[in-house]
Amino acid sequence: MVKNITVGQFFPGNSPLHKLDPRIKITVTLIYIVALFVCRSFLPLIVLTAISVTAVALSRIPLKTVFNGLKMVMLLVCFTAFLQIFYNDKGNVLWKPFDRFDFVITDAGIFSAVFITVRIISLILAGSLMVNTTSPTMLTDAIERLLSPLTLVKVNVHSLAMMMTIALRFIPTLIEEIDIIMSAQKARGAQLETGSIKERAKALVPVFIPLFVNSFRRAYELAFAMECRCYTGGKGRTRLKIMKIRVSDILVLVGMLCVLGGVIFVSVYDFGDNIMLRAVM
Amino acid sequence: MPLLEVKNLSYSYSKGTPFEKKALSDISFSVEKGEYISIIGHTGSGKSTLMQMLDGLIKPDEGSVVLEGKDINSDKKITREARFKVGLCFQYPEYQLFEETVEKDIAFGPKNMGLSAAEISERVLKAAAFVKLDGELLKRSPFDLSGGQKRRAAIAGVMAMLPEILILDEPAAGLDPVGRNEILSMISEYRRSTGATVMMVTHSMETAAAVSDRIFVLENGAIAYTGTPREVFGHSEELIKMGLDVPVSAKIASELRSRGLDLPLDIYTAEGCADALARYAAKLKEGKRNG
Repeated sequence: MVKNITVGQFFPGNSPLHKLDPRIKITVTLIYIVALFVCRSFLPLIVLTAISVTAVALSRIPLKTVFNGLKMVMLLVCFTAFLQIFYNDKGNVLWKPFDRFDFVITDAGIFSAVFITVRIISLILAGSLMVNTTSPTMLTDAIERLLSPLTLVKVNVHSLAMMMTIALRFIPTLIEEIDIIMSAQKARGAQLETGSIKERAKALVPVFIPLFVNSFRRAYELAFAMECRCYTGGKGRTRLKIMKIRVSDILVLVGMLCVLGGVIFVSVYDFGDNIMLRAVM
Repeated sequence: MPLLEVKNLSYSYSKGTPFEKKALSDISFSVEKGEYISIIGHTGSGKSTLMQMLDGLIKPDEGSVVLEGKDINSDKKITREARFKVGLCFQYPEYQLFEETVEKDIAFGPKNMGLSAAEISERVLKAAAFVKLDGELLKRSPFDLSGGQKRRAAIAGVMAMLPEILILDEPAAGLDPVGRNEILSMISEYRRSTGATVMMVTHSMETAAAVSDRIFVLENGAIAYTGTPREVFGHSEELIKMGLDVPVSAKIASELRSRGLDLPLDIYTAEGCADALARYAAKLKEGKRNG
């Protein structure tokens, strides 16, 4: 039941996206997200969406997985779009459903609803694509490298990255364990799926206490195991896999920076009343 | 009417996704009151799925689990009743202890059954007696007990519901030989004094051979062999091919057979092996005398 979580799952593969250097991938995704938020008109949004759709196609992640990932946020998207349609009263009034209330649907409202929907979907696509095409170890490794300048201000970046790796590693273990404990308590007659909210919250005590106790136990065991292998933190540690930036990685980065530049230009420059280029939001 | 009847059970995990995996296919069997059944099969053969299905924790895709004539998945109320009639003890049950005291933890099941306070405390004492945890220990926190004591406390938590069918998933896993024998004799004691049926998943073929009336061998989600230990370990060679272990004596007998000794196929205990060898030796002698 809790096992069917596919968001954020890594799909091994050999696509250009998988091969992209993870550091560059994270940077490019961040730039892309900035561009999405800087973007205020339709033409750049279309370009940005085209980029993420192309990336999905290139990644060869099964479309079903991609849609499943989107399904989770669809509620949020619909809610936001709904708010935009009903609470944006700028622009030309298209329909006034109630005479008594100040309640109108305008063209600007519909435009911004569409705009926001596309923007959120692109955002989710880019984010999940990054996680789907990068293994968790690569991801934390890349984050460690990207944050390494922070060691100058005495932030222990290695420990942070190690904590993240361990946390990610244990998510599936914990999910499996919750499943087992829930089943075991249900076998003793615990009612986890019926009753009022208060009763259900109470019924979770027999699930969460063992879960916490076991997590601490596992943390101790892991710490011992790491110490037995002479782990002493990041100092003096060498790497098995050294990431190398290739020309293609640089090209992708430069390309994305150009896109960001273009988006900024379009949103700053005054194009007059062109529907594709004027600010929607 | 058998106590428990399983008809054509099938189940797949993650149905409809690329990760779909068949766990059980078309399993049928029936169990009588008071039987002691061992279930063997290696990891991933569907043992745990089957166990959970018998307790109504997993609903089968096809087929039914019929307890005392009622399909346990037909109604929520019946499922809940079945959970009390079928006591399921998971592997490493000590990791599911949660209460402040051992006593309260054992009382969790009976409390969920809605019994009266007097009856609950009576059952707690009874269950504690089955697993030989005495008065002073009952007041302690379950997290302060030793490993073996924790395991026994957890098993007592299931026994306290006085299930008619006690299902245990490797109750002796990770224990030393003394601890293992203790657990096994507690289970036998429970069965003897309540007349309950016991179904036990085990990896120890010696245990399966020694205690059970019948053995089910699971492979790839289906029952490969079923019958008395004598019948099942008669297939020693096939079991070994499946990657399963067989009792040491069966192994020795099969090794001797492959070297040309004419021994019967149903050897699975040390005594049986010794007898068969003695008979074989006598026959050889006789042959020499006559020839």
